[in-house]
Amino acid sequence: MSSRSLSLLLVLSTSTVLFAQSSPLSTDQGHSNQVLLERIDQLEKRLSEMEERQRKQDAIMAALLRSSGSPEKTAPMGMPEAPRTPPASASTAPTVEHDHSAMRDRAEVREATIHYPSLQIRGFGDVDFSATDQKGTNSGFNLGQFVLHFASPLSAKVSYFGEVSFTAEPSTYDVSVERSIVRYDYNDSFKMSFGKYHTPIGYWNNTFHHGAWLQTTISRPEMVKFGGTFTPVHFVGVLAEGSIPSGGLGLAYSAGIGNGRSSLLSKASDSGDINDNRAWVATLFAKPSQLYGLQFGGTAYHDKLTPLPGQNFDEWISSAHLVWTKEKPEFLSEFSNVYHRDLQTLRSYNSQAFYVQLAYRLPWQQNKWKPYYRFEYIHRPNTEPVWDITGTASVLDLVGSTVGVRYDITNYAAFKGEYRNTRSGVNEPRVNGAFFQTAFTF
Amino acid sequence: MAIPSKIAWGVFVIAILFLLRGQPLSAQTHNVDVAVVVQSDTPVSNLSLAEVRKIFLGDRQYWSANTPVVLLIRAPVARERDVVLKVIYQMSESQFKQYWIAKIFRAESASAPKVVYSNDMANELVTALPGAIAFVDSRDVKPGTKVVRVDGHLPGETGYPLR
Repeated sequence: MSSRSLSLLLVLSTSTVLFAQSSPLSTDQGHSNQVLLERIDQLEKRLSEMEERQRKQDAIMAALLRSSGSPEKTAPMGMPEAPRTPPASASTAPTVEHDHSAMRDRAEVREATIHYPSLQIRGFGDVDFSATDQKGTNSGFNLGQFVLHFASPLSAKVSYFGEVSFTAEPSTYDVSVERSIVRYDYNDSFKMSFGKYHTPIGYWNNTFHHGAWLQTTISRPEMVKFGGTFTPVHFVGVLAEGSIPSGGLGLAYSAGIGNGRSSLLSKASDSGDINDNRAWVATLFAKPSQLYGLQFGGTAYHDKLTPLPGQNFDEWISSAHLVWTKEKPEFLSEFSNVYHRDLQTLRSYNSQAFYVQLAYRLPWQQNKWKPYYRFEYIHRPNTEPVWDITGTASVLDLVGSTVGVRYDITNYAAFKGEYRNTRSGVNEPRVNGAFFQTAFTF
Repeated sequence: MAIPSKIAWGVFVIAILFLLRGQPLSAQTHNVDVAVVVQSDTPVSNLSLAEVRKIFLGDRQYWSANTPVVLLIRAPVARERDVVLKVIYQMSESQFKQYWIAKIFRAESASAPKVVYSNDMANELVTALPGAIAFVDSRDVKPGTKVVRVDGHLPGETGYPLR
């Protein structure tokens, strides 16, 4: 007992003495270290700026020499060499330096000024592997979609956006113009565009488009699946959009008129309206400034469908979304109701779909890991003449869960792996599947 | 004998940690404010932090109908960029890059912010390009540019948020 007390006393006294001695020392040392570090930081900063300036001066001088042509390079063989400019005297040095500085400024401004048109091309691709226990399906690799995106300002107020996808088919590639939009900006409150869009219904369809790299998960929710029919994915027409002066509420709108669905319900009427009846869509959403990351809003869409000659249906889609777009956590949720009314029998049908997705960017390993979970649900009436007409692309009565993880290999490429459990009808068996994807942009 | 030894070591370790507590582990923190500068003709002199964020997120793209906003941001590693990513975007470098790729891909913006390599370059471009807005070290603000108040504060004042 006495030895315990002795040891404890010894350690405590040593610590106290050490603390007493080093406390002022550490404060002084800490202060001088801080001053030194700040000084080093300032010097490093100045050095990097000087290096950058020097690099640019060298580049400009090299460019000037190239454009004027140095005597050694431009004088033809056998011809007398042009007299060289005498070296600048000491008195002219500041003028030369001033000229260099002005040239550098002009070059920087020229470089930063947008030239019209100014085409930027970006590509997206993905390679997938899937394996499920569904009867009649094969596991294997799939090339996914190869997508090219074009953006080009045509003037300070006019810009063009295009998106083309190449999708692997059994014997060929399906090439499709997914979006082609020319937009005129009057100001922030009014931007008008013409072309082919992803229909601005809800959140997902208007946010993630065709690059799988952009979305957290491998797959899109079934209700907004490419090639699906629940809501129209594409829209051809005219769209007005902009912000609404609303202070911190951050209201914005989009409203458009277009051709609506073609007779093949998963496609837009790119080449003309099939029933001489325009579809319209109106969306209102808010991004409150005090809750950076939050967005919520609603959409109304109306069209007249003619899936077969002589069969006409009214279609009303109402949709709402609530999302938190930051990644710690990321929360996406969306609900849509699709109302169809047979214009011959006047019978009406309602189908509902929603999904809720939650993801979280983990703080370890440079924030590369992002696990996620999604629950999705679609309910349709047992008899629904529009969905039934469409045959194989018919909307499923679906309940599904997806759990997975995304790993960002670099800033521009990601691995994703996910497990899905889905039931495509009330009496249908559940299907389990494992899916892997590498998605990238270039 | 084993127990006191453990206790002694435990106390010793705690004492060492206590002493180390005073060391300048965060000595590299900087307190120099980052100024928001625009061209002197730009019709703005006071913005809330939320408005600065809206501008740099590309959600506000025009000062007026005839003057588009031109965003300038320092290249990676610069402290001004770190402050902007941390305070304005609240994103990592990687998230920032992904944000702008997605923004352009959604056809919401024709181009990402232009990269400037020094405060001098930022000052020069703000002076030369109508509608340009940039973040520069408040010690490097040059004549010909206008420093915008953020949340009613100028750099150096208490409550200034960009530091």
